[in-house]
Amino acid sequence: MNLLTRIALILGFLGHYPAYILAYIIETLIVLIFAVVVVAGMVYFFRKYMARVQMRIGPNRVGKYGVLQVMADGLKLIQKESIMPQGRDDLPYKVAPLIIFIALIMGFVFIPYGPLAWLGTLTVTHSDVSLVIMFALIAIMPIGELLSGIVSNNKYAVLGSLRGVAKDISFEVPMMLSVLAIVMMASATKGISPLDLNGIVQAQNIPFAILEPLGFFVFLISMAARASYSPFDMGESDSELVTGNTTEYSGLRFGMFYLGLFGTIFLGSMILSTMYLGGYNGPFVDDLGFIWLLIKTMVIVVISLTIWLSMPRVRIDKFVTFGWKYLLPISFINLILTGFLVLGGIS
Amino acid sequence: MEYDEKSRYIELNMGPQHPSTHGVLRLRLTLDGETVKKVEPIIGYLHRNAEKICELDFYCDALIYFDRMDYVGAMNMEVGYLEAAEKLLNIEPPERVKWIRVIMAELNRIASHLVWAGAFGLDLGMLTPFFYVFEEREKILNLFTEICGSRQETNYMSIGGVYQDFNDKIIFRIREFLDEFPKKLEEVYNLFIKNDIFISRTKDIGILEPEIALSYGVTGPMLRASGIPYDVRKDEPYLVYDRVNFTVPISKKKDVLARFIVRFEEMRQSVKIVKQALDKLPDGPFFNPKAKKSLMIRLRGEGDVYARTESTKGEFGVYMVGDGSVKPYRVHVRSPAFKNLSVLPYLSKDVLIADMVAISGSIDLVFGEVDR
Amino acid sequence: MTYEIKEETGKDGRKVFRIGRDHLLELMKDLKDQGYDHLTLISSVDFRDRIELIYHLEKSSDNFSIIVVKTETKDTHIPSVTPLWESANWDEREQYDMMGVIFDGHPDLKRILLPEGWNGYPLRKDYDMSKVQFVNMDEEGNDYVSFDPGDGW
Repeated sequence: MNLLTRIALILGFLGHYPAYILAYIIETLIVLIFAVVVVAGMVYFFRKYMARVQMRIGPNRVGKYGVLQVMADGLKLIQKESIMPQGRDDLPYKVAPLIIFIALIMGFVFIPYGPLAWLGTLTVTHSDVSLVIMFALIAIMPIGELLSGIVSNNKYAVLGSLRGVAKDISFEVPMMLSVLAIVMMASATKGISPLDLNGIVQAQNIPFAILEPLGFFVFLISMAARASYSPFDMGESDSELVTGNTTEYSGLRFGMFYLGLFGTIFLGSMILSTMYLGGYNGPFVDDLGFIWLLIKTMVIVVISLTIWLSMPRVRIDKFVTFGWKYLLPISFINLILTGFLVLGGIS
Repeated sequence: MEYDEKSRYIELNMGPQHPSTHGVLRLRLTLDGETVKKVEPIIGYLHRNAEKICELDFYCDALIYFDRMDYVGAMNMEVGYLEAAEKLLNIEPPERVKWIRVIMAELNRIASHLVWAGAFGLDLGMLTPFFYVFEEREKILNLFTEICGSRQETNYMSIGGVYQDFNDKIIFRIREFLDEFPKKLEEVYNLFIKNDIFISRTKDIGILEPEIALSYGVTGPMLRASGIPYDVRKDEPYLVYDRVNFTVPISKKKDVLARFIVRFEEMRQSVKIVKQALDKLPDGPFFNPKAKKSLMIRLRGEGDVYARTESTKGEFGVYMVGDGSVKPYRVHVRSPAFKNLSVLPYLSKDVLIADMVAISGSIDLVFGEVDR
Repeated sequence: MTYEIKEETGKDGRKVFRIGRDHLLELMKDLKDQGYDHLTLISSVDFRDRIELIYHLEKSSDNFSIIVVKTETKDTHIPSVTPLWESANWDEREQYDMMGVIFDGHPDLKRILLPEGWNGYPLRKDYDMSKVQFVNMDEEGNDYVSFDPGDGW
């Protein structure tokens, strides 16, 4: 039994179809709220963790241990006047942060969250091609970055966008190749849909990270580059291009970019743990599946943040070279190895 | 379509408000995509004309304007000014004062280089080492607070002496700091040098040939990283630098990484110098009675002197002319960062923006000093 | 040698060459050939009736020992030494900015610390400090200077 049926049963007095429609809406709302809360929690966690690493205390004034700091910051951002540059292209300028934010939130809908106690499976939508949709959504986000840089009539922003595009093309191809290897692996298991994230999770009796470490490595780096934190933050690189494509944004729109950054880290870690670390698989999967997913995600998040805090920025040309000369061959090798594994029937 | 030469290049104004310009440097860049074709530094946004203000005050009053020149290494500025002023006024500081000044200048050199390392890390996108170095710097500034009552612009020294004597507690605390510091320094050093990305960002970037460096008037760690062992402390010893044992670190690599390594080696040498100075610190008065407070404003000097000292950024020179009155007739400051900055257009021709930021970070700019 | 040098010793014990400005370039060229490859500082002093220029040169092969060259000008013109030492470029611009010395032959003589269009040369002894000047930026992004307080930032 999943959460959807659970809610529909409670609303059963409305009749079958209205109850299910309402249940869908409620569950989507729950996921949206979950996404926003998680991202806000991520910001708080990041600030506390960063403070620990840097021998500081971090936020500690608003609320107990500063937990409300993020909320206060959010309120501040909402209240702030949104200063817009002259000579901007108005519609794309306003749409760009929305593209990033909406694509990010929608990404959370397709994650297979796994079961939690009596609530049942938390996954909102079952689609046979959720993997494809997920990566389509992830591929939409660069459009927002590109738009925001080009239309805001600022040279820093244009340069930031150019860098962002150069970066995106150089890691997207290896990333998709490593995803292809996952699909190959999953299709070897009978009775599941290999393009469904849920199916991929079920196929992982052994986590795919063990079977194809190269693919895991490529995907980890690609996800870091997608979220564009240090060492891959050449797009915004605050010491060179002020903040790159978001230079001219302020107030709520800037807040969306900011949440987009942390949301992408979290979403990326979730996808990573779903595809490579066995998702919600673990002991007592029927009761604790969701918890397992969260734990795996948090481990990846902590690793990402540690990388962020300890690395300087890679130069853009070196990253492009790295993408084409190392990541791409590695992902091809990974594909071939996976082929052997599948033929040999190991998975 | 007609080829438009003008639209090929982007003109970009970097600064005066920009995260990586260390204050108020403004760079007018001509970019071909990501490549820097031309850099024109525009300075003067922090200009206060300290040289003119010095002419309006007594000899002893001009000191505080020197504190505000290189506010990161204020003690070295004070030493530089007093070297010139004391020569002009014929006042010899007592022996103990000379040693105290060496101690303070070297402690401040450590603090200044630490700040540089942190800011340089920020330029390259490294957040964390910044806080590590500031923790150590804070300990030095706490020592300064205890000795002189203020942290940065200390105004500690005066003509012919210092404001307050060292006592045993201070000496103990400096020793305590020196015992712990080398360990922390190595930790910070490893944070940078064991990071492959850091190495790839700094190695073979911004190569400065020694002949070019000399012709541009570059001094200090930048010149030493190009392989020329010029250090005023060795070549024309002032205070008591001829009586302490230290080496001048040089590097033959000439790039940004070499400047980084040279500065860290200098900090280790400074620790060595302070330790020796604490051991050799003689007893005696801490000011020259000829320049005690009531007599200070009556000091008169005649003639002209040029005194050079090794500040944290290079050769800090003060050219001073006196006309026999109680005020200096003309004070002219050779600011090392000003000269070092003048080589930036040469260094950042045909490099990427990211490298240009690394190069300008490696110069160690403090704008209070460049603009004066 | 076709020129005359007066040799003295300064108060700080440094060797001082005093020379007329007509032969300055020749002396500087000779000194550079002798190995003085580091021009440390160009300073100028306003003695009301004349402006004295002081060049400090260092010899890198001899522990950077200093030699001082002094010259003077009555009509603020002096030959530029930028072709010999690159470092003279910014130094001479600074002296032009602060003291109003005009260096003939300088490739790009303009103000360096003060905005273009500043009235007067601050380090001259007759500079009027009671007049407050305000800097503002016009539509094209160029600085201009005026005496009107309403114009300042």
